[in-house]
Amino acid sequence: MSAFTVTSILDTSGKCCPMPIVETNKAMKGLALGDILEIIATDTGTQKDIPSWCERTGQTLLSTTEENGVLRYHVRKDR
Amino acid sequence: MKSMAIVIRDDSYDKILTPLVFAYLASAEGTQVDMLFVNWAVKALTVEGAASLCMDGRHAADEAMVRENVAKAGLPNDIYEILKALKSSGCVNFYACSLAGAIFGVNESNLIPEAEGIVGASWFLNDKAAKADHCQYF
Repeated sequence: MSAFTVTSILDTSGKCCPMPIVETNKAMKGLALGDILEIIATDTGTQKDIPSWCERTGQTLLSTTEENGVLRYHVRKDR
Repeated sequence: MKSMAIVIRDDSYDKILTPLVFAYLASAEGTQVDMLFVNWAVKALTVEGAASLCMDGRHAADEAMVRENVAKAGLPNDIYEILKALKSSGCVNFYACSLAGAIFGVNESNLIPEAEGIVGASWFLNDKAAKADHCQYF
């Protein structure tokens, strides 16, 4: 059980670079500081892209999990 | 990286995708992207030119497959639609090279409204490329 509450979910399943990042950026703009976005992705490129995007934009990557080819990221909006 | 300058020369559908995707990614990080379209690529800054972009040479037979997979990836498979999406990010500027415009028939009357204008390459190199944190050439 996660120690945080997800505010919003973004499902990018089936989409490939650059769309998971582009859509994550758009989704984060609609959130308030402290909100947590769950990103679902199947593009394995996101395993490096999402952490890099978080670092670049000042957001916090809380967790990354993978199950049966489905990746889930939890990102807290800090900026 | 706060700013990036991109010069695009190739105008085939598949080859123009990469710089557009890189610009899209950079814009998603808030990076300011300035793109100069030179040579045949300047035609992409017209509605008719963007619609006419196709794949050349030995890859031409694969164009339908490429367009289908671009759509599956979530991108518009129409170049003008990608340009509009980039512009709507608020971080990307398009410039047409004045020499390329004169040679390949692009002027203020057929330039897409999403473009900033027709500029001299010297201005772009000095004011955008030389001052950018990163430059790419395609």
